Amino acid sequence: MKVAVLIKQVPDTTARISIAGGSVDEGSISKWTISPYDEYALEAALKLQSESGAKVVAITLGPQRSSKSLIDAAAVGADELIHVLYEGSSGSLSLQGALAAAVRKSEADIVLAGKQAADTNSGSTAPGVAQMLGLPCVGLVSEVKAVDGNFVATRSTSSGMERVSVNGPCVFAFDKGDEELRRPNVRGIMMAKKKPIESLSPADLGVSMEDGGVNVESVGYPPEKPAGQTFQGAASASEVVTKLREEANVI
Amino acid sequence: MSVTIVSEPHEEGMHPTLPQLVKAASVIGESCTVIIPGGNGADEASKIQGVGKVIKLNGACFSVFDSSTWSAAISGLVDGTVLMATTPVGRELSASIAAGLGRSVVQDVTSIAPGIKVERPAYSGKAVESISVSGDAVITIRPNAIESAESGGSADVSTVDSGEDLRIAVLEAIAKAGERLDVSEADIIISGGRGLGDRSNFEKLESVADSLGAAVGASRAVVDEWGLPHSMQVGQTGKTVTPSLYIAVGISGAIQHLAGMRSSRYILAINKDPEAPIFGVADYGIVAQWEDALPILHEAIKSLP
Amino acid sequence: MGYEALDFYDVDSLLTDEERMIRDVVRDWVDESVIPKIENACREGVFLDEWRQELGGMGILGAPLKGYGCPGLSYTAYGVICRELERGDSGIRSFASVQGSLAMYPIWDFGSEEQKEKYLPGMASGELIGCFGLTEPDYGSNPGDMVTKAEEDDDHYILNGAKMWITNGTIADLAVVWAKLDGVIRGFIVEKGDEGFSAPEMKGKHSLKASVTSELVFQDCKIPKDRILPGVKGLRGPFSCLNNARYGISWGAVGAAQSCFDSARSYAMSRIQFDHPIAAYQLVQNKLAWMLREITKAQLLAYHLGVKKDSGEWVPEHISLAKMNNVDIALEIARVARDIHGANGILDEYPVMRHMANLESVKTYEGTHDIHNLILGRHITGIQAFTREA
Repeated sequence: MKVAVLIKQVPDTTARISIAGGSVDEGSISKWTISPYDEYALEAALKLQSESGAKVVAITLGPQRSSKSLIDAAAVGADELIHVLYEGSSGSLSLQGALAAAVRKSEADIVLAGKQAADTNSGSTAPGVAQMLGLPCVGLVSEVKAVDGNFVATRSTSSGMERVSVNGPCVFAFDKGDEELRRPNVRGIMMAKKKPIESLSPADLGVSMEDGGVNVESVGYPPEKPAGQTFQGAASASEVVTKLREEANVI
Repeated sequence: MSVTIVSEPHEEGMHPTLPQLVKAASVIGESCTVIIPGGNGADEASKIQGVGKVIKLNGACFSVFDSSTWSAAISGLVDGTVLMATTPVGRELSASIAAGLGRSVVQDVTSIAPGIKVERPAYSGKAVESISVSGDAVITIRPNAIESAESGGSADVSTVDSGEDLRIAVLEAIAKAGERLDVSEADIIISGGRGLGDRSNFEKLESVADSLGAAVGASRAVVDEWGLPHSMQVGQTGKTVTPSLYIAVGISGAIQHLAGMRSSRYILAINKDPEAPIFGVADYGIVAQWEDALPILHEAIKSLP
Repeated sequence: MGYEALDFYDVDSLLTDEERMIRDVVRDWVDESVIPKIENACREGVFLDEWRQELGGMGILGAPLKGYGCPGLSYTAYGVICRELERGDSGIRSFASVQGSLAMYPIWDFGSEEQKEKYLPGMASGELIGCFGLTEPDYGSNPGDMVTKAEEDDDHYILNGAKMWITNGTIADLAVVWAKLDGVIRGFIVEKGDEGFSAPEMKGKHSLKASVTSELVFQDCKIPKDRILPGVKGLRGPFSCLNNARYGISWGAVGAAQSCFDSARSYAMSRIQFDHPIAAYQLVQNKLAWMLREITKAQLLAYHLGVKKDSGEWVPEHISLAKMNNVDIALEIARVARDIHGANGILDEYPVMRHMANLESVKTYEGTHDIHNLILGRHITGIQAFTREA
C-alpha cells in the first residue's frame, strides 16, 4: 500500500506576520514549519507504515524553501519525497490540479492531508484533489485504519463523532488527530539528507498554472480594533453580546 | 449575473445562514436560485426576499455527508456564481463542487461587493486578503459576517430527485463523551479567577462554555487554592492561549495571567473593581458583580439567532 | 509568544542544516517536556525519569562519539544540544554532560572493546545511566592528590574511599571512578550492585535541584579485574573527560543566559510603572543592552570553539576561556534579569532565579572560575600559580 501525504510549508503559527507594499514580507518570517493539521496526517501515514508496511510518499507544492518540509518529513520516516516546484501564486484550481497530478505520478492508494493550511485557512485542497482524482473524500478525520482492503476513519460531525468506512482509494482530511507528530531523532535527521527529493515543475506534470479567475489584489493588516469599551452594570451584558456578534464577529 | 446558492441540511428546517447568503447574492447578481440538499426548509427559504427559485434536491444520499457524492448530485444544477456558507459541510462541499466544475473556490469571505470583490482573513486572522473574483467562481461566506435578507418573498419551489449512491458508509455514531475542549485548542475560552469566590461557581462558567462551544480556563491563584486541574491554568506557568475570544470572569489581570492570554483576538472582562488591570487589555469591559452579569450574558448568548 | 532565542549576529546561520534541525528538535522537546514540569521538579528536588528516556529516544546522548550506537555528531552539534538543554535547566544539561562527556567518553576513548560493546549502546539509548567519580570531599580543585585507592587482590580490585558532588550517582547503573592503583590514577567501572558500593543522594541543595547529586562510597568495594580502563594512566584520563564536558558547558551557559534575557525582555515590555512599561526607562534598557552584548560575545566564543574542536586545532586553554567567560556572564545576566523582574523575579513563575541558583554550581564545577583563570595565566606566562610550592 502506498500512502501519499500532502504537506504544506507555512510560517510558524506563532510568528509575527509583517506586511509591506500590499503583500506578506516573507523575509521577515523567522520560522517556517509544516502546517499543523498536515502533521496529524503525516503521523497517521507513519502509523499505517508501521502497522501495514505501507510506503509513505510526502508531497509538497511550493517554492524552493518548501523542500525543508520534505526533509522534516523524511526525518520522521517518509520513504519518498516529491516537490512540485512552483514559485508563484495561483487559484485553487491549478494548485489542486498540480497536486492531483503529483499524487497520480506517485501511484499512491490513499491520500492524507490536513483539513486546512495554517496560512490560507481555506480547507479546499483535500476535497478538491479528491474530486480531480475521482475519489471520495472524508473530512475532519482524527484517525484512519486499514481494514481488509477498506479504510475505516473516525470523523467529526455536528453531533459528535462517527466511524465510517470507504472501499478502496480515498482522500482523508485531518483535523486534530489522536496522536501528535512524532519527534525526529538524530538518526532520522542525519538520514533525511540522504533521501532524494524528486523535483517536478507543474509543466512536467502537464499542468499549467493559471489564476482560475481568482486574483489576490492585496494583503493588509486587519482593521485596528476599536479602543476598549467599558460598560457599567450587569444589564450591559446583553449589549456586549450583541457587539461580540456584530462588531467583533467572534460568536 | 446569475447566482446559485447551495445550502445544507439543517434539523430545524432552513439553515440559518441562508438569509445571509441571499443578501450576498443580491449584492452581486439579479436573482438567485437556492438548492437545498435533502429539501428541508424549502418553503421557509422560498419566503426570503430576493430568492428567484428554490430547488428541493431529494435523495437518499443526503442522509450522510459525502462531499464527492453530494457534489455529483448538485453540480449539474448549478448556474453562475456559487455562494455557500463557511461551515464544515460548506467548506468541503464547495471545494468539491468547484473542482468538479473546473472552477476555483474562495473560502470564508467576510465581505462581498460587486466586481466581484471579496475580503477574507488569512494567517489565523493576522492578515486580510482583498481578492477580485471574475468568472464563475465558488465562494463561501463566513456565517454572521453579512446581514440577512428580509422576508416577504414568494419564490417557486421545485423538486429534483437524485439517485446518486453514497461512497461513504457510516458504521457507528460515537457521541462525544461530554469532553470539554482544552484551553490550548479552543477558539473561545471563558476563565475564572478568585473573584468567583468558590470552586463550585465554575459550574456556572461551564454552562456558558457549553452554549459557546468554549473551553474553561482558570487563573493560577484558583488552580493552586481550589485544586483545579493544571491543564486549565492560563498564564505564565500555565498555557499561553490565543483564542478569538477570551472571557475573564472575576480575574483581576495580574501580570502573570495577562502573559498567558493577552494575545487573544478579543477580550471580554467582567469584574466588580473598575481599577482591575484586566480592563487595561479588555476590548469589552463590564464593571459589575459577575453573579449579576453572567446570567444576563448567558441569556443573551442563548437567544442569538 | 513562544520562546525567542536571542541571536543578534545570526550565529545560528553558520550551523549546518542538520545542526539546525537538531537544535529545533531539542528546543521543541524542552518546550514540551521540560518547561511545563521543571518548576515542580525543582520544588520537589527530582530529576524525572521520563527525561532520561526522552533524551535517549532523541538519540542525543554521547553526541560527539562515533560507533557503538552513538550519534557521531559534530562538536558544534553537541554544543547546540547543550545550549538548548540548558535553556531549560542546567540540571538537564548536567545529566547529558555527565552521561556523554564524563561516563560514555572515557569508556569510548580508554576502554577495552568488550567494555565499549557492553556499556556504550545502552548508555546512548538512555537505558543505562552513567556517572563520573573524580572529586572527593577533600580534593576538588586538586584532584591529583586524591586518596581513593584501588588494590589488587587475586582476580579483583578492592576500592576504598569516597567521592562527592557526583551528578547522577544515586540513579546511575555504572560509575567511572578514578582511583590510585599503586600511586597512579586509573579509571575503574563500578556497577550498581557491586559489593561494598553505595551512592547516597546529597540533600539540601539550593542549586541544581532538578538534578541528582550524590556521594559514591567505596568500603572494600570488590570489582572484577576487567573493569579497569586499560587505555589511560594519570590525570590525563579524567582531564580529557572534563575538557569535553567543559566545552559543552560553554555552550550551555549561553542557553541559560538566553532564557533569562528572553524572560527579562518580555517582563520589561509588559510591566507598567508610572504609566509606562519599564522597558521605556533608560536604566532598564542599559541592562538589556548589556545582556545582548554579552550573550552575542559568548555565542561567538562558543561557536568558534566548536569550529576548533571539530578541526582538531584546539588546546585545553581554549576551552578554559570559553567555559569561564560564558558561565561568568550567564550568572551575571541571571542576576540582572532577576533585578529587572523586581519582586516577581523571586517566584518560580519565572525561570530567572532558578537559572541564577543553578549557575552558581556551574561556575564552580568542571573547574572553578578561578582555576580556569589560572590555567589561562599559566598559558600566558608559563608560570603556574595554582599552588604555593614551585
